[in-house]
Amino acid sequence: MGSFYVKKGYDLKIAGKLSQEIEVLEKPDHVALCPERIPFIKPRLKIRLDDTVKIGSVLFEDKRNPDVKFLSPGGGKVVEINFGPRRVIREIIIRLDTDEQMETFEAISQELPAAIEREALIANIMTGGLWPLIRELPFRDLARPGVMPPAIFVNLCRGEPFQPDPDVYLNDRIDLFNFGLKILKRLADKKVHIFRSPDFATALNDLNGITAHVVHGKYPAGDPGVFLYYTRTSPADNHAWYIQGQDVLLLAHLLKYGTYPLFRTVAVAKDSLEHGKHVQTRLGAPVADIVQGHVREKGTRFIAGGVFRGYTTSRTSYLGLYETSVTLLPEGDKQAFLGFARPGFCKPSYSRTFLSAFNTAGLNMDCGLHGEARACVNCGYCSNVCPVDILPQFTLKSIMAEEVEESLAHGLLDCVECGLCTYVCPSKIEICDVLAAAKKAYYLESA
Amino acid sequence: MSLQRQRKPIIWNRHDGRGSGLKKLMKLIKNFFKRHHHLFAKGGRFEKLGPVFEATETFFFIPGIPTVKDSHVRDSLDLKRFMSMVVLALMPPLIFGIYNAGYQSSLASGLPLGFGAVFLKGLAIVLPIIFVSYAVGFFWEILFAVIRRHPISEGLLVTGLLFPLILPPTIPLWQVAVGISFGVVIGKEIFGGTGRNILNPALTARAFLFFAYPARMSGDTVWVVVGGTGGKLVDAVSGATPLAIANISEFHEKIDILLTKGGYSFTKLFVGNYPGSIGATSALLCLIGAALLILLGIASYRIIFGGVLGVLCTGFFLNLIVTETSMAWLSLNPFYHLVMGGFAFGIIYMATDPVSAPGMNRSKWIYGFCIGALTVLIRVFNAAYAEGIMLAILFMNLLSPLLDHFEIKLRLKKRMENA
Repeated sequence: MGSFYVKKGYDLKIAGKLSQEIEVLEKPDHVALCPERIPFIKPRLKIRLDDTVKIGSVLFEDKRNPDVKFLSPGGGKVVEINFGPRRVIREIIIRLDTDEQMETFEAISQELPAAIEREALIANIMTGGLWPLIRELPFRDLARPGVMPPAIFVNLCRGEPFQPDPDVYLNDRIDLFNFGLKILKRLADKKVHIFRSPDFATALNDLNGITAHVVHGKYPAGDPGVFLYYTRTSPADNHAWYIQGQDVLLLAHLLKYGTYPLFRTVAVAKDSLEHGKHVQTRLGAPVADIVQGHVREKGTRFIAGGVFRGYTTSRTSYLGLYETSVTLLPEGDKQAFLGFARPGFCKPSYSRTFLSAFNTAGLNMDCGLHGEARACVNCGYCSNVCPVDILPQFTLKSIMAEEVEESLAHGLLDCVECGLCTYVCPSKIEICDVLAAAKKAYYLESA
Repeated sequence: MSLQRQRKPIIWNRHDGRGSGLKKLMKLIKNFFKRHHHLFAKGGRFEKLGPVFEATETFFFIPGIPTVKDSHVRDSLDLKRFMSMVVLALMPPLIFGIYNAGYQSSLASGLPLGFGAVFLKGLAIVLPIIFVSYAVGFFWEILFAVIRRHPISEGLLVTGLLFPLILPPTIPLWQVAVGISFGVVIGKEIFGGTGRNILNPALTARAFLFFAYPARMSGDTVWVVVGGTGGKLVDAVSGATPLAIANISEFHEKIDILLTKGGYSFTKLFVGNYPGSIGATSALLCLIGAALLILLGIASYRIIFGGVLGVLCTGFFLNLIVTETSMAWLSLNPFYHLVMGGFAFGIIYMATDPVSAPGMNRSKWIYGFCIGALTVLIRVFNAAYAEGIMLAILFMNLLSPLLDHFEIKLRLKKRMENA
């Protein structure tokens, strides 16, 4: 069991904590799949409005590789297909029947995942619609099935604030998790690495020679990209695959029982984040179901997937395939009187320029910029927090000068898009956004 | 009940406009800006002056702009506060500088030396210089902001205050205006404004005055404002700065003894109650500022310590090569270099300007060290330019991108390839 320390990073001083309690939600009326939130795919719809679908029916496939299917998270009628700008498919909404029909898939017995051919296993996962859960670094696209990965990383860290606690979602399901690990071992020729935070309490027995690493350090220590940066031994390792701990359960369920898994443990934090808790719901659940109770819509931002990397959603929307949290924060559109001269005992900051440096309590945060965009003054805060030792202030300039080779040499592809550089920037420059866009452009151009 | 208690931090936040008086004032100002916003908005009567309106408004209110892209949350620190912290750290040398300018002037003019009177006199000398510096500086800043359609940058808050503090108190106000104009326009705006300049604007301004109007920037008579006695110094007071004394000293004389004879003991040089640039004489108060800047994480301790190290090493080295016939400067105890002239002020407030300094950590050490070393070398070997720190910093400003370039190159070599 290895353990290492991530030297840089930053833990938000945000008020509130998730409780371990888990609330089981009732079956929602509608569920949806949100293709817009799955990176890089080019969806081709296989259903039409008003079609009747079962749990596990194909809703769409990826034009780039039609074997990659995306299945319905519910049985019922397709009542809405919402398009966004440039005909991007936002949501495919399904009204659930009271008695949902279910597609069945080939199940493999628990003892024998080792006996099954790797190709057959991959084909099983693809027909079962769960291939997209495995993603490939450094671009975080869906894994390429034809390639043998250098390793598969299983992420048992929470990462950002208010994400589901692995101890909670693994509770009672540790056998399923172990079964999933066996499958992953088969996929990656035994090179599977689990990484977890030091406060992870569930006993991981029966690992069959899989290494479980303990990752110490601040956010984003629990990120597969950071894990890769600290453990890689050759450039070939850069294309490792990774999967979230909770998704291992889905994968295992599919192959063990032959049905499309629906369970999802979602972390939800609202009301100044004080009543954070876990809810047990299903894939593609409506945000309104997850965020129960009264919420002031105006001036509140619904964030799916974490305050650093998540996206803005709304009460009327649905949770994406990858997102397992909904965090509610104030919009931050309030002006601050003489803000630059205040002692700021309650103003969260990475810097030491506010008295909050002495305040050990969690602080209330909002989605405000807290300033205006300015030119970079080379203060170097971004490179002080960058977990993978990029020099964001210099990399940013090389990107703006369109020096692709130089930005690659700077480690652009190592960027884990954690958003810390953007967070700390006093000039309010969207550094992470520029880096992520450059990375994406490079990927699309070189593909 | 326990939940109520946990809510405490929120209650603090709610009290942002503590006290009803402040709240009323806040509302008043808020409404004022709201009422007049349309005049400066696009299509308004004063559309061109939009940046001025905006700068004034954001001075009072940090605007509530919600984030659009990742990440959703942002740090409370903005550039306005960043720069304000430097201004805050400039307060000790500024206040001492005001007092000292008044004190030296009163002393030279034979006026009473009571604290109040001296301080008022100091204010009368220094405030107009600061006022002109800010006014003319902002004029250019606004002009460029209006023409080039960008917001007014906070960098001038610092430049406009740094510049007066490194001027002699006798400086004519028109020269202050000309100097800050050069500093802001040539030193900064033609490169694209704050963040894009290669030289420190305040130092550029001073260097311009130094070479354009040497009579007003150096010599024995410019450091004390004399009034009341017909413009003549009271006999007992010498106007010579320690740097000047060191320059004129004879070969075989011990330089520290000479300095002491001239009234400059080490303690006096450290405390700073002698004639000199308005804010730069007191190493002690600069040290307080340095402590503040380092604690706040605004200035790089690497540059400051590197500079001190550079001065000491070079000073000791020069001591080693002293012979019977060498210049007196060579034998000066290196610690004197730290407290003489504007070294302390320069290395703490000017060299640490993040824009013109290197961004890499090792480069910062080298940069600081070279500034220290060059300061001593210029002082010792180039008697014409008594003040070495200014030229040393400007010279190293030019080299800092190069230092960064090489350090980054070395660093990237060690990085594992990923492409």
